[in-house]
Amino acid sequence: MSLALVSPALLVAGFVVIGGIGMSLVQSLGLLPLVGVPSLSLDAYLANGEELLIGTGLSLAIATASTVLSCIIGLTAAVVITQGRRTGRIVAAVSALTIPIPHLIGAAAIGLLISDAGIIPRMLGIPGTEWPDLVGGPWWVAVVLEYTWKESAFVALVVAAVLATRVARYDETAALLGAGRARRLRHVVIPLARPAVIVSAIIIFVYTFGSYEVAWLLGRPYPEPLPVLAFRLFDSITLTSRPEAAAVAVVTTAISLAVVAIGMACLRRTPLWK
Amino acid sequence: MAMLIPYGQRVTPDDPTVSSRGLMRPRPGGRTLRLTIAALLTVWFALPLVPLLLWFFADRWSAPAVLPTEWGFDGVTSALANGAVPAFGQSLALALVVAAIATPLGAMAARALTRGAVPFPRLVSGILLAPLALPAFVAVMGLTIVLLRARVPGVVGVVILLVAAALPYTVYTMRVAYAAHDLAYEDEARTLGASRWNVLWRVHLPLVAPGLARAAFLAFLVGWSDYVITVLVGGGTIVTLPLLVASFAAGVGNDAVVAVLSVSAIVPPLVLLLALGRFGRRYPTASYLHGPTASQSPKGSP
Repeated sequence: MSLALVSPALLVAGFVVIGGIGMSLVQSLGLLPLVGVPSLSLDAYLANGEELLIGTGLSLAIATASTVLSCIIGLTAAVVITQGRRTGRIVAAVSALTIPIPHLIGAAAIGLLISDAGIIPRMLGIPGTEWPDLVGGPWWVAVVLEYTWKESAFVALVVAAVLATRVARYDETAALLGAGRARRLRHVVIPLARPAVIVSAIIIFVYTFGSYEVAWLLGRPYPEPLPVLAFRLFDSITLTSRPEAAAVAVVTTAISLAVVAIGMACLRRTPLWK
Repeated sequence: MAMLIPYGQRVTPDDPTVSSRGLMRPRPGGRTLRLTIAALLTVWFALPLVPLLLWFFADRWSAPAVLPTEWGFDGVTSALANGAVPAFGQSLALALVVAAIATPLGAMAARALTRGAVPFPRLVSGILLAPLALPAFVAVMGLTIVLLRARVPGVVGVVILLVAAALPYTVYTMRVAYAAHDLAYEDEARTLGASRWNVLWRVHLPLVAPGLARAAFLAFLVGWSDYVITVLVGGGTIVTLPLLVASFAAGVGNDAVVAVLSVSAIVPPLVLLLALGRFGRRYPTASYLHGPTASQSPKGSP
């Protein structure tokens, strides 16, 4: 009975996860060529070795920057939200409104905001020629900004929910025992929020590491983050490019899973983990 | 990834709670700081939406001008001429189909897992959560060859992959809902002579309805927001709003059209979010879900 209830969901998720990783692995090792004889080889990994390395570094940098900034801004917003009053409610409302906006739409909006013909250079009266290349520039500013904008709202609401339910009483007790604001923040609120922040950070890192559309729209043509590299190879017309795209996919998956494992290890070390 | 968000729940404390905290009442200096931070955060979250609204109404807006130089609805006309309506319809249909499949599948799996009768529960929940850790393009690149060789139509392939992507959200949301769900209500209805079907429709589903609404909303968002799966697996058979936005945003000089398409992609989920908030607060079981007390539990009252 239970098995019958769980099996439809399990079949779909298992097909996509195990099938997706497994078939990527099989293709990347040259065991499923479009034409010709299957033969085990690492050619697909070596063919774009340098781009693969540069892409890994770039993707790691973008994901790290977005995750750290989102967590800092989101945690601040969560503290403001749970302080209550009108300001908290306004911040809660605007951050909740950004959550259901698709990332691609967010990318289009950030482009209209900070490109050289965007609204911010106009408002500041800076001509487009003197405005730094935030969109498509060397520092991937627009990409990180879009991720941070969307994901900081995510962190804010997740952490605010935890703070509202569990932390309020500890905070009151600490105040009653004479702890000032700074000490309550340092010794009560932040330690109690830590598990929620770690969980959000894992989700954000894995998402921004493997996401295509924002980096493609707001990034530059070269160097490419891993998902953009995989996409270009996948769409390319040469016969060897599909295994090469699959090789990029396998590398991305391996790093994502490693990050999840590291994050879970951090989570287990927090005192609140049950 | 939004599954942990308490949609339809209050995250700010009540006014009485705040005003009664004498010790925690902010000092004047702290008040200025708090207001400044709150204002900065509000600008941070709301600012990217400003250009969308301005461009929505701009016919012409040449570079140095701070506000549009000609107001109008050329962007709307142009978006309509470029297939905004069919794209909107296809986005809506895709998101609704994903929600309609992923929500019951997630609810069934969550119910089985919460009742603890599933073999290898940790492995099963791991697999159900795994799509969250798997980049969408990996699943696509691995599975296109399988779907092609099995002659699965593009649309079906898109739906299968999106349902898998939505399952972590629906399973997690429904596990939270079932954790607070008291099976004694169903037993009681059975004892009183209700058939299984009646129990399902008149006791079980109404009790978990707020959870189902949240789960369906998240699954809707997965289908509504997707770009990678629709473009690669769909192979052009379905053109959703994100695909249209992407093709216009990648070009130059389409700012008004991009703004109109973006706004039309933001409005439906926002409306659903607001409806969900009202539903979650008005629904009679909401107070029960937040804090059942001993005297309110069905065991204590006939």
